[in-house]
Amino acid sequence: MSVTESATAPAEPAVRRLTTARAMVEGIAQEMERDAGIVVLGEDVAKYGGIFGSTAGLLDKFGPRRVIDTPISETAFIGLGIGAAVEGMRPIVELMFVDFFGVCMDQIYNHMAKIHFESGGNVRVPMVLMTATGGGYSDAEQHSQCLWGTFAHLPGMKVVVPSNPADAKGLMISAIRDDNPVVYMFHKGIMGLPWMAKNARSVAPVPEEPYETPIGKASVAREGRDATVVTVSLSVHHALDVADQMSAEHGVELEVIDLRSLVPLDREAVLTSVAKTGRLLVVDEDYRSFGLSGEIAATVAETDPGMLRVPVRRVAVPDVPIPYAHSLESAVLPTRERITAAARELVGA
Amino acid sequence: MTDVRFPQLSAEQPDAEGVLATWFVGDGDQVASGQLLGEVMVEKVSGEVLAPATGRVRLLVAEDRTARQGEVIARVE
Repeated sequence: MSVTESATAPAEPAVRRLTTARAMVEGIAQEMERDAGIVVLGEDVAKYGGIFGSTAGLLDKFGPRRVIDTPISETAFIGLGIGAAVEGMRPIVELMFVDFFGVCMDQIYNHMAKIHFESGGNVRVPMVLMTATGGGYSDAEQHSQCLWGTFAHLPGMKVVVPSNPADAKGLMISAIRDDNPVVYMFHKGIMGLPWMAKNARSVAPVPEEPYETPIGKASVAREGRDATVVTVSLSVHHALDVADQMSAEHGVELEVIDLRSLVPLDREAVLTSVAKTGRLLVVDEDYRSFGLSGEIAATVAETDPGMLRVPVRRVAVPDVPIPYAHSLESAVLPTRERITAAARELVGA
Repeated sequence: MTDVRFPQLSAEQPDAEGVLATWFVGDGDQVASGQLLGEVMVEKVSGEVLAPATGRVRLLVAEDRTARQGEVIARVE
């Protein structure tokens, strides 16, 4: 795999605001206008517009030959996408909930992720597999997982996880233009959907023209000197809320790193920040063991454990399925309360 | 001056109430005819609010407040 980087997002923010869902759709639509080889397929992506609004309006704009509702057979339609990609198209395939990966993983990690390697680099699979992740709205153990650690663990796929509207559009365009398979994982809680819990940062300025947000580059969502919080997706929003509160109440300044991509992972951004603060908290809505939070901790430990003044802390989902009952669900998710408690321990506030 | 009305999302219940979910523009912003102004929701069905004219927009219903379908929720001056 190659990491391709080109033009980045314009520095001047546009006044025009969009929800994350609409920003994704705009990115897809602008690319579809440019390239007739881009098609969108999946369950309910056409007539319904994606159950989380990720493809809303595309059928009207581009018609049923390019925006295709599929039967409920993930293996068949992901395989269809892989075949189209191998033949030179650029399909965007939606797996409605990432939790459904179990029925189609052979297509994803044995074919989509490996064809490029099996062919000695002669065949490319330029496809986007987009999928909804995350919990917090009582949808229970089969519709609430993040699982980005699972996809990032398996070689051959890039994995991007935007947290806000501008990055959602830029990463979608980058994912479409990338010659490698890219898994695009969007958390339901950041989409700005009217029927989900409201999130102030899910409606934000988005530049109107097409632009790329580089894959493999983290962003510093908030600068701070006292401790580093490394996180991704919805947890970025929680971490920013906690950082503002700790600044006001304790005078503690947390630096929040939004990874944005898990593969490739911007280890340098993590190391630069931890070298400055000497304290590391990893917040991850995925399962705790064998995942992202351990990978970030290992990155620091392998490079220079001496840069840590105190041991690393992790706030993640304990290794249990996500419960249905709201009280139990909020006990396992990385809530603001859990992040605050861990951050206060880390800095002794 | 042009009224912007809460769109009819439920044909069966023409006077059903909904929620003003999101304003994408601010009160007093200059808007163009056809521009997306906001998003509303009745039950779990969401709909778009588009600008009926070009001009300065006045928002009459705050985000997260309820409004009846057909009610005037903004004006374009």
